[in-house]
Amino acid sequence: MSLAIAAQGLDVGYSSLRGPVKVIAGLDLEVETGTFLSILGPSGCGKSTFLRVVADLLRPIGGSISVMGGEPRLARSRRDVGFVFQDATLLPWRTVRANVGLPLDLGQGRLSRRIDDRRDELLALVGLEGLGDRYPHQLSGGQRQRVAIARALLGEPSLLLMDEPFGALDEITRDRLNDELLNLWRRTGITVVFVTHSIAEAVYLGQRVIVLAANPGRVIADRDLRPIKDEDARCRREDAAVVAAMAEMRQALGRAA
Amino acid sequence: MIARLALPILGALSLLVGWQFLLPWAGVPAYIVPTPTTIAGVFGKSWPLLLDNLWPTAIESLAGFVIGNLAGFLLAVVFVHSRRLQAMYFPVVLFFNTIPVLALSPIIILIFGLGMTPKIVIAAVICFFPTLVNMIRGLDSPSTNEHELFRVLSGTPWEVFWRLRLPRSLPMLFSSLRIASATAVIGAIVGEWIGSEKGLGALIIKATFNYQSDRLYAAIVLSSSLSITLFAVVVFIERRLIRY
Repeated sequence: MSLAIAAQGLDVGYSSLRGPVKVIAGLDLEVETGTFLSILGPSGCGKSTFLRVVADLLRPIGGSISVMGGEPRLARSRRDVGFVFQDATLLPWRTVRANVGLPLDLGQGRLSRRIDDRRDELLALVGLEGLGDRYPHQLSGGQRQRVAIARALLGEPSLLLMDEPFGALDEITRDRLNDELLNLWRRTGITVVFVTHSIAEAVYLGQRVIVLAANPGRVIADRDLRPIKDEDARCRREDAAVVAAMAEMRQALGRAA
Repeated sequence: MIARLALPILGALSLLVGWQFLLPWAGVPAYIVPTPTTIAGVFGKSWPLLLDNLWPTAIESLAGFVIGNLAGFLLAVVFVHSRRLQAMYFPVVLFFNTIPVLALSPIIILIFGLGMTPKIVIAAVICFFPTLVNMIRGLDSPSTNEHELFRVLSGTPWEVFWRLRLPRSLPMLFSSLRIASATAVIGAIVGEWIGSEKGLGALIIKATFNYQSDRLYAAIVLSSSLSITLFAVVVFIERRLIRY
């Protein structure tokens, strides 16, 4: 199996008046391609920071990291990485279709016509058929987040980074989007790194869950969940094994805080 | 819908009728407040004179509006892209803004003489500052996430400006352009008060000293029509550009 992400001794931080502050210290993490990885952790554990290093939004101060076999910068410029923020971050002056098409309008690595034609296909994939001409303010929170996912998928990335994408949604919408995301992952074979606060969400979605501790961020639990998932990579939230895994994660989080 | 249009018109009409009949009845002399019909009569009688004085003011206001806003816009673009220049010069600009335009205008007239130029400069100075401040805020209004999104998609600085900063700033730009549509006319008229033979400002001064109050009021109505026209054009363009 090749690696989508390989981090060794990764240090990320910033300098303050009292000297350098490490948000992440000595993080070792390997993520195989095609995995659905959930990252759990208390606030301030550096889970969002880690995503930003992978997406080349932040430069590490030490250690090494490779994304899809190369520097994060290279992966970004090849459009290998899609990013979904907690806030959908749609541009209000663009229609839904134009928002999904934003990657077509940016960067030197312009995408081909074939991908342009995928906009409507992608809108259908995220369940927004026929809404392409609406403006973001005419959509619900869940619909906006679907647009953001469609936009992230437009460049056919091999790695999808999601930073608490459903954190602001109500529980029913969230459950439905979780199921749709799993379908999408199964169909595309894309690697997903999913950051969340929710233990239930992390266990339900992830084929693997890691727990980060805070101050500074490091891995304190790493659990393979494939044994408790069926051949469709799904699990039932009320299964004893799933409940046990959630309890285990809760314990690890208790140690992390 | 009908009520929304009819009620304001009804309100304005009631005030005009009250003005026409109640003020003379109460003994307010015509040289202080002429009746609406007298003022309307001036438009018929002295239309060429009014038009002659409207044009210079209109040209000065419009030129000042365009130049002042353009300068404010361009300086905001520079400041947003160079924090160092902003830190160096924005306080200076802030200080200049505290000088009342009326105090500044004699100097401007000393520099530029008595033609149209000083009036255009005064109108431009008035428009400049609100647009500069609003544009700096507007161009800086994209969120961290929006900047990160553009970076993930490898957007160039040029694309970040045209596709993110500028469209984000449009609502704030137009709110300052609306204000400028009124203040540009004020600037031109103030300039004409101090030294001019032509223009609505000059007409206002002359009419006042000659007790031609009907002419004075006609000039006031024309000045406000000028602002309203400019305002309407700004709103029209805003509606076409900002559709969401």
